[in-house]
Amino acid sequence: MKGMTPILEVRDVSKTFDSVVQALDNVSIAVYRGEVVGVVGENGAGKSTLMKILAGVYAPDRGTLFLNGKKVSFPRNPKEAARRGISIVYQERGVIPHLRVYQFLFLGHEERYRGPFGLRKADMRKEARAILDEFHVACDTESFMYELPLATQKMVEIARAVLGIRLESRGEEVTPVIILDEPTAPLTLEERKELFASILRMKERASFIFVSHIIPEIMEFVNRVYVLRDGKLVAHYDFSKDTVTEEDLFRAIVGRESLAHILSEEESSVAPEVVLQAEGLTKNGAYYDVSFVLHRGECLGLFGPAGSGKSEIIRTLAGILEFDKGKLRVKGRDVSPDEPPYIRLARGVGYCSGESGKELFFHWSIAKNISVVNLEKVLHRHFPVIRFKREEEMAKTIVEKLGIKAPSVHTDCYSLSGGNKQKVSIGKWLERSPDILLLEDPTIGIDVGAREDIYGVLFEMKRRGIALILVSDDPKEYALLCDRILVMRKGRVERVMKAKEFQEMAVV
Amino acid sequence: MNSRRFLVFLGSNPVFLVLVGLVVLFSFLYPHRFLTGLNLTTILKQFVTLTLFALGPSMVVVMGSLDLSYVGIWMLGGILVWLLTPSLGFWSICIFPLLGLGTGLFIGVVHAKGKMPSFILTLCLLVVYWGLTAILSGGYSRVVRGYEFITAPLIPYVPTAFLWSLPLIVSAVYLMERTRIGLYLYAIGSNEEGAQLAGIPVTKYKIIAFALSGLFTGLGTIILFQHLGGSVPVELNLKNVVWPLVAIVLGGTPLVGGSGGPQRTLLGALTFSVFYRGLYLSLLHPEILQLLVGVLLIVSIIVGARGIKGVEIT
Repeated sequence: MKGMTPILEVRDVSKTFDSVVQALDNVSIAVYRGEVVGVVGENGAGKSTLMKILAGVYAPDRGTLFLNGKKVSFPRNPKEAARRGISIVYQERGVIPHLRVYQFLFLGHEERYRGPFGLRKADMRKEARAILDEFHVACDTESFMYELPLATQKMVEIARAVLGIRLESRGEEVTPVIILDEPTAPLTLEERKELFASILRMKERASFIFVSHIIPEIMEFVNRVYVLRDGKLVAHYDFSKDTVTEEDLFRAIVGRESLAHILSEEESSVAPEVVLQAEGLTKNGAYYDVSFVLHRGECLGLFGPAGSGKSEIIRTLAGILEFDKGKLRVKGRDVSPDEPPYIRLARGVGYCSGESGKELFFHWSIAKNISVVNLEKVLHRHFPVIRFKREEEMAKTIVEKLGIKAPSVHTDCYSLSGGNKQKVSIGKWLERSPDILLLEDPTIGIDVGAREDIYGVLFEMKRRGIALILVSDDPKEYALLCDRILVMRKGRVERVMKAKEFQEMAVV
Repeated sequence: MNSRRFLVFLGSNPVFLVLVGLVVLFSFLYPHRFLTGLNLTTILKQFVTLTLFALGPSMVVVMGSLDLSYVGIWMLGGILVWLLTPSLGFWSICIFPLLGLGTGLFIGVVHAKGKMPSFILTLCLLVVYWGLTAILSGGYSRVVRGYEFITAPLIPYVPTAFLWSLPLIVSAVYLMERTRIGLYLYAIGSNEEGAQLAGIPVTKYKIIAFALSGLFTGLGTIILFQHLGGSVPVELNLKNVVWPLVAIVLGGTPLVGGSGGPQRTLLGALTFSVFYRGLYLSLLHPEILQLLVGVLLIVSIIVGARGIKGVEIT
């Protein structure tokens, strides 16, 4: 790449918010023709700010922008950015579900297709087909956006971004630079693979800046990577030249060693007591004949692709779904198939999901969110009154322990970052200490630092004798946390693996 | 710190500014008629009417449902008191809370277990109660005597009904702010799935919410019954149904639930009373007043739906 002129280069960009928060401090990056460049960092490291400056959303305090080697001013708005060839695909909410694919592709550019009898739909469909073919997007132009798989929706969004650049630049020769802001966050593992394959096919037509905090993805997918931490550029790796391990990248992003490094020597916390036992558990259409035991202080993983029945099992255990056949025993007692979550909780089974907004009360304070499952500790012993003092103290302990970044425990949860929200979700269970905690995607969509903090909490739970059941998308998470793993396929348990075996398999 | 707290209070209760603004405006417009003892008493009387009707339902609204049965409880309860007073005497007044509680439990069970939308369910029940009232009363509005002591004046300018409603107001606010029940109702209104996952028996608390709403309405109608003249109307007056709703929404409890509550409803009821009284003094046509009330409801729903969070007062 060296010796060529980058199609996009920024030098020494700085940006301060409210004249105190230094979001970016002398950051320089370059993008060459036909490559995928990664920009990684924790939440708050400044990657979004940098991208928004490139896309014309923010103006920088200082810095220079070069396009094809020529010095130009920063774009003042997204339209101007598109005219110069820069466009951004946001993490979520970019898609309008109830539009058809061709309508969505030309949204905002309808004036080109105005005919005497309304819009010329036939032309729109034809051109939509052409651009989808050019980008190898396999979908029908007549489909509604919501009917498409998530990965395909992203592809259509990318095609739309390129289209926008072409229409805005009005025939001038520009090479599109598409910014992908954490495009894989809502996707499953398979969908991610599909998306990457498609993006690689688009490389001759456009360059990509890929913003992410998922390390394996970065390692596999990009040519070069810039690492941001606290608004500064701390590292730059070229994967074709430098030998970089995941641990190196992790250290650059977070600025310390990873837990996997420290905890791999940790001794097992599993006790002989059986807290949960399933015998021939069956839910027609979801899973069949599932049997396992769970010991105190153990972490059991349910591993398999989407549709393998793992989510259905964990939801059955939580009391959200009923089972049709089989036996379920909690702490030696048979439970009935149709009891609701609050009875399961009374038996000592808690459920925690990382899915955003599923179990957090967004416009409640941190303190309220924690006390809602710990009311016994907060209520007065003789009189039905919530003691706000006690509530506040309890929340403060949790906030401190988990390193939740918030102005106070009375801050409303909607204003917290994803990682901190998840910490509140997990933290309330740490205080409650149920016998069994069911975890569904506990770290989905959050950055590595917060993820490690949550792993730390889960390890502490295990040491305290809480048994965990884990369902996740990330094989590494199983390898790190679980003592045993049930490998599921098409609703049946295919085999049971010890942690060691699984780790070896995960490496291969 | 205290002034900062006050600003936060204003930011989350913009209706307070509206209230102050209205009072100032009307005092200027009618310098000799607005800030008089008589007028303020009238405002307070209106406030009591609205509050006692809206107190219970505002708990249900917090939970994201709707309870419109309050006027029905008042009408049917009144006619039952008229029927029973000759045989049971004074204690027949207890029919109000009993009817309220029963109605609330019925609505709660049908709504929570039968998955019937509360809006249409309570609206139908209101019509049923109206019909029952008409049948039992024989088609004439009836006057019940013997309960006049409830509103007998105690303190000059302060309606006695207001004094009676104070314990109800305090216990409703306490219930929602400081107890498990209140917390759970907010939780259900805020995120029902999340409430379920946090181990809250959602069905049970939905029934409790409606039962409480009915009970508070029932207790309130003991006072209201005499406060509104001690007679039983046989015609349903729509403004009795709509005005308490305006008070709830204007106070800042969004109809989708999750925030607000009885303490907000008090502010809403007071603001509405001042608003209405001010317009009343203006000698506008009564039909125009009704129209303006409707407009006020729409505006407050729009403001409520857009979220008060965006409003910043510095």
